[in-house]
This record gives sequence, structure tokens and C-alpha cells, in this order.
Amino acid sequence: STLPAVAEELLREVKKAFQETSQVPDELLLGLKFIFGPSAVPALDLVDQCSVTRVRAPSGRILYQVLGNSGKLYTCYSSCHYCTCPAFEFSVLQKSESLLCKHILAVYLSQALGACQDLAVSDEQLTNILLAEEEDEG
Amino acid sequence: RGGLAERLCRLQNRERSAISFWRHQCISDDKIPSDKSGVLIVKILEIFEECTIQVAICQQLEQSPATLSPEDAVINAEEPIVKVLFTRETAAHLKGKPQDVIHIYPPWQKLLLQNSDVPVIMNTYFSQKVIRSEHSEPREKTYGLTKMLIRKNIISLAETFRLDDLDDQLHQESSDNQVPYAPQTHHNSDSKQHPSALSAVNDSLLEMVESQGAVGWREVQVRVVIQRVYCLPAREGSRSHAQGNKPLCAAPVVNSDPPNVRLCLLVQDAYGMFSEVQLQSLSSTDDIEQYCRRWEGKSCCLAGMKILQRTTRGRALGLFSLIDSLWPPVVPVKVPGQSQDSEMMTTNLPPPSFCYILTVQSGEIHVEVDEEEQLSNLYQPPAVHGLKEILRIDGWNERCSFWAQVLYRRLQTKHSVPIDQREMLLFVTDSTLQNVVHGIPKVVAVSVTASCVLSVEIMEALSAGSRLVFFKDALWGNGRIICVERTVLLLQKPLLCSAAGADLSELTGPVRLDELDSTTQANSVCALRGTVVGVNESTAFSWPTCNRCGNGKLELCPQDRKLLYCNQCSEVVTTPVLKMQLEVFLSCPSRSQSAVKVKVWHEITLFVLLTTLLFLQTYEVQSVLGKEVGLLNCYVHSVTSHPNCVALEEIVLL
Repeated sequence: STLPAVAEELLREVKKAFQETSQVPDELLLGLKFIFGPSAVPALDLVDQCSVTRVRAPSGRILYQVLGNSGKLYTCYSSCHYCTCPAFEFSVLQKSESLLCKHILAVYLSQALGACQDLAVSDEQLTNILLAEEEDEG
Repeated sequence: RGGLAERLCRLQNRERSAISFWRHQCISDDKIPSDKSGVLIVKILEIFEECTIQVAICQQLEQSPATLSPEDAVINAEEPIVKVLFTRETAAHLKGKPQDVIHIYPPWQKLLLQNSDVPVIMNTYFSQKVIRSEHSEPREKTYGLTKMLIRKNIISLAETFRLDDLDDQLHQESSDNQVPYAPQTHHNSDSKQHPSALSAVNDSLLEMVESQGAVGWREVQVRVVIQRVYCLPAREGSRSHAQGNKPLCAAPVVNSDPPNVRLCLLVQDAYGMFSEVQLQSLSSTDDIEQYCRRWEGKSCCLAGMKILQRTTRGRALGLFSLIDSLWPPVVPVKVPGQSQDSEMMTTNLPPPSFCYILTVQSGEIHVEVDEEEQLSNLYQPPAVHGLKEILRIDGWNERCSFWAQVLYRRLQTKHSVPIDQREMLLFVTDSTLQNVVHGIPKVVAVSVTASCVLSVEIMEALSAGSRLVFFKDALWGNGRIICVERTVLLLQKPLLCSAAGADLSELTGPVRLDELDSTTQANSVCALRGTVVGVNESTAFSWPTCNRCGNGKLELCPQDRKLLYCNQCSEVVTTPVLKMQLEVFLSCPSRSQSAVKVKVWHEITLFVLLTTLLFLQTYEVQSVLGKEVGLLNCYVHSVTSHPNCVALEEIVLL
């Protein structure tokens, strides 16, 4: 597959450019739009609002929580592409129309731009976050 | 960093209008635009779809093949391969198939991937298919009949993106706005400990204790949870205040001797074992509230501890009553000897019978508290109960916590003991006691022993006015609540209450005391009403008291006999409080069998002294006999049965 490698490289370029110049050049922004389509602008908006939190537990497990515009908190996994939002379920899982949803893209962009907030929790608390998602879907 | 979304929106809008303008131009012109600079010419070899992007593996051509003959359609191995990406919209417009030649006009972007030689072309909005007019018709017809199937690659969710190289990882972590989370890297920047000198963090206190004296024991770190923070009075010597032979009437001596207390932590490890860690002496007991708030419930690492003592249940009742209140643990604890991963349920675990008291090596503090961390699951906050529930506890030596309003404070009257070491009796109440009609007392006496360390803040608050105080880990037993060692009095409400019945609300309405009756006992407070039946004239007098400490035994200053001196405070009393005392005998219907003697007194400052003396001179006993005395709040000094007499003193509630 090609697209993941392209997306990864693009995000790396964003990170590099930001580290060097504290800015993201226009071409890279347009590149994000090209690759990620309609998710790009909403994802950047989430980054602008510092909506991404990296949640760590002493076990080393990490997950991300993204505060959506509706005020809902979505959980994104770090080990694979997964997000609890309905758009992910539809566009990515069902239709395979997108690589990511805007929340996962926001996670990557926040990583690249150093905009992640950090939260340290206990192993049990992290487990509860993960289990809570299961209950909602059930 | 703000406004990236807005920027992209603007760029996107500009791009979109450029695209539609360009397409319109292509259609109207109906030929390839003459400007060839920057145009990429590619021939599609293979095409597939990933998500909504079309990926075309193409051969990059030097020049337009319009001039070439069909025979040259053989793939020239020299010509570079590129991967061209098209968006869904562009692809629908192009309808590209293998062998098609596409012209890609700028602005397009080239991206070089890390592990691949094949460059990727993006932003290919301005693309146009070159149609070779002489061969187009038959081809079109053929392809028109069969819908072209384009292979769609399904991307695995496991294909995540790694934005950093291995060396980048640490650099990235430190460049974000974050708090270090791992205990090992927590104080990397501190000079106290070098990571290389420390062994991995242990989770067993027993192991640390047993490794004392062995090689490298100083570097062993133990991770524990701080269950309680409190102060203990130091054992070495007791400080006494100025003695009587200090020069009198000198400049006021500021009593700045630091209270001799040590900050202590009651910690618990992953195996459920407790230990009391005695830390440094505190210069000011005011910090205790801060430490409690910031440290209780958090994890910390201990290193280089010295064992002070190994104590047992029989020898340290106070400590073990606190440990018992934290038993059993709220989460399963590990069992020594079994593998690290298995844990045991906490039912049937016997409470600890021994406890190590540790102290820090002099000079260095080897305790690192993860203040930013969340509260540990092992933490058991004090169970706050209403006083009504506490009075019903069936037990001896039980620790209890409550939030109550202090109505009246009575210091022990031994003047030989310094103020901060005096025992006190606090009369407290809360809504659970006030709102009950019958059966339980409305006010409860809490005895505060000298071993319970009180902060200056608390002492001031208790003398200033009626205050709500949080009593943490007081002791209940034999029908009395006492504040002893390890009890902490705090002015702020507890953040975490683990009892559902806890009522932290303020009292509404005036406080009521129990009325004097046949069950009233000594050293309690009550309210009474009655009729004056006699006055003890011989005991009526007035005397000056120290306005700071209430010492009624003031002396005359030898240097200046006009001034009064208090040897408790070691200071001249410039504005003594004049106390007047009068003993009145009352007949109280609520306790009609007893002679009720009430010491009625009033405090007056020197300013109104003259007016009062005048009043005293005209005071006539006759005028008060038979007078009704309203609800007086009193402290019961003594209750005797033979003669049946109750001696009380009028008090003013805080």
C-alpha cells in the first residue's frame, strides 16, 4: 500500500518544518488537504484548540483523548488506527473511504506540532477509560 | 500556532477557484495550453485505489508522446517510475486507464519517501489527459462498454505512522508541554540522584528494610503510597517558655522558638505493608495543611531510609489504631513469595502486627513525591461521618473523622504548662446532632491532648470565632472523642470523602445546647434558665486578665508599679481585660432538686471600667432576687450529689 507511507512522510515533513521554523508552510497544509481530504481542516481546528490529550499509565500504555467540537470526548488508540467516533466507524471501517478520521489526524498533527496535552493516570484508570468505550458501544 | 485551520481554509478556497478556472479554460480552449514549463508528463502503467485516492504507477516521459508513433509504446526501462496520486474528483474527471498519458500542470508537489526510490506526485489537481485523436474512437468504444474495474487496496488499521526516529523520541517528549510521568525520569534534571546510581524502583518496604546494610542499600528506591500526613511532637526535650526570672519590662520578647515537631508520613507499599516515615522538623506548623493537601494519596519514592524502630501493635496503640482504620486495603495487594504478576484478594488478610518507623539520613531528603500524579488507587481517604454516627460506633480505640463547628474552647488551667502544650476541651456540634430532637446530646466534647500537634492557624481560628474544623483521624473510645498523636485538625474541607453520609454543610440557624437536667455531667456545656434565689456577695469581685492569654494572675511590674505584667506571655499587659465574677444561685425547673450555682462573669476592657465601677457601687442584691434569668449558656464545673449541687460558669459561645 502506498497511502500510509505518503501520509507518514507528509506528517514528518510537517514536524520537521515546524521544528525548524515554528511554522507550517502553505504547501504542506495543502498537502494535508490533498491526502486527508475533508478531515484536514477539522483536524487542524482541533489542534488549534489544543483538544488532544495524551494519556499515559505507568504500564507504558498510551492512548489519546480528543475533545470534539460537540464537547464529546473521543478515544484514539496509539497502537493502531482506531477512534471511537461515528465517522471512523463509517468512513474508515465500513466504507474504507478514509485513512483516518479527523480525531486521529488531530492526534498526529498534535504530535508533530508538540501540541499534545499530557495526562498521567493509573493503570486502573486507563483500563476504565478503555472499558467505558466498550460499554457505550454495547 | 493558532489559526492553522483558518489558513488552510483560505488556501483551499484559493486553490478551488484556481482549479475551476483552469478546468473551464481547458474546456473552452479545447487544447493543451502552450505553456510547457513545469508540466509533468506521465504514462499510466497501473492504477489502483486506496481510500478515495487513486494511485497511478506511471512512467515519467520526457516529452509528449503525441509526436511518437504507437510502436514506441514499449516501456522504456530508462524512464523513471513515479507514483502519481489523484483525488477522487480529479480521477473522476480524468478517467485514467493504463497506457493513458496525463499532463500534470503546476503547482504539483513531489514527495520523496524514506524507504522507497519512487517519488510520489501530489496536488495533481491541474491534470489533463492527452487524447490521441487518431486512436481515440475505437478505444473509447471498447472501454465504454466495460466498466473499468480498479483494484481497491484496503489499508490495514495497524499501519500507524511513526513521526519520529528512535533518537527523536526523547527529544520530542521534552519539547512538548508536559510533565514527566515515569518515576525514573521524574527528576532527571535534579542533582540529587543520578539515574545510573539508582537501581530499579522496588515496591516492597520489607525488602528495602531487609537489605539495610547490604551493598548498595542506599540506592534502593521503594515506591509507596502516602496514606496520611501528620506532625508528631519531637521526643527530644520539650521547650518551655520564658521563665519567671527573665528581665521584666524589657523590650517585648518575640517568642519565635520553633515548635519541635516533625513531619511524618504513613505510607503503604504494594504488599499492603505500612511504615511511618519521619521527615524533617517543621519550622512552621502552618505548612501541615499544605502538605496534607498536596501529598496525601500520592505515590512517592523513598530512598536511603534509616530504620528508627520496629514497633508492634502492643507498643504503639496510637499508630496501629490509625493503621487499622486503613485496613483492609481497597485494592488487592501483592503477596510476598508469589510471582510478581499474581495478586491476592484482600479478604481474610490479617491486619498488620508490626510496622517499621523510618527516618531520613540527616541532611538529605530522600523522598520524592509525584505531586502531579493522580491519586493512587491504594489511597483510602478519611471516612467522614456525622457526629451522630460516631457516637454510635461500637468500639474502642477507633479512628474517626468529622467536620464540625467548634462552639467553645476550654483550656486546661494549669499555668505551669506552656500554652502550646496545654490540653484543651473543644465543644463541637454538627447538623446531625443539632437536628435531632431527643436521645443524643446536641454538643459533644472533644479533648485535645498535648500530643496532637495544632498549627498556629488552628489555634488562632479557635480563639477568634466559631469555626468549622475538619478533625482527621481523631480517636473514639469509652464514649469520648480525643485528638491525639496523628490526629490532624484542618480548616479546609476534605476534598475526598469516602463516607456517603458525610454532611459538610454549614449549620443553619442558631446553635442550641442541651438544657440543664438530671443527666448533665461535669465538664460539659448546657443551657439553663431559672429564677435568681440568692447571690453570693462574698465572692463578687473583679480582676484584670491578660488580653492575650487570659491569664488571671497578673503581677505588677516592679519597674513601674502602674503597669501589669503577664508572666505567661512574658510581656506587659497594656490593655487588660477586666473580669467580674458574681455567683448567683438559681432555681431551675429542669433540675429542681439541685441547688444551681452559676458563676456569672463579664469581660470588660479598661475603657468602660469607670462606668462599670459606678454600676457596681449601686448594685443591690434585693433588686435581682426573683429575677428571671433567660437561657444562659454555661460550662459545668462540677456536679455533686451530696450536697446536690451543680456549679456552672456562664460562657460565651464562639
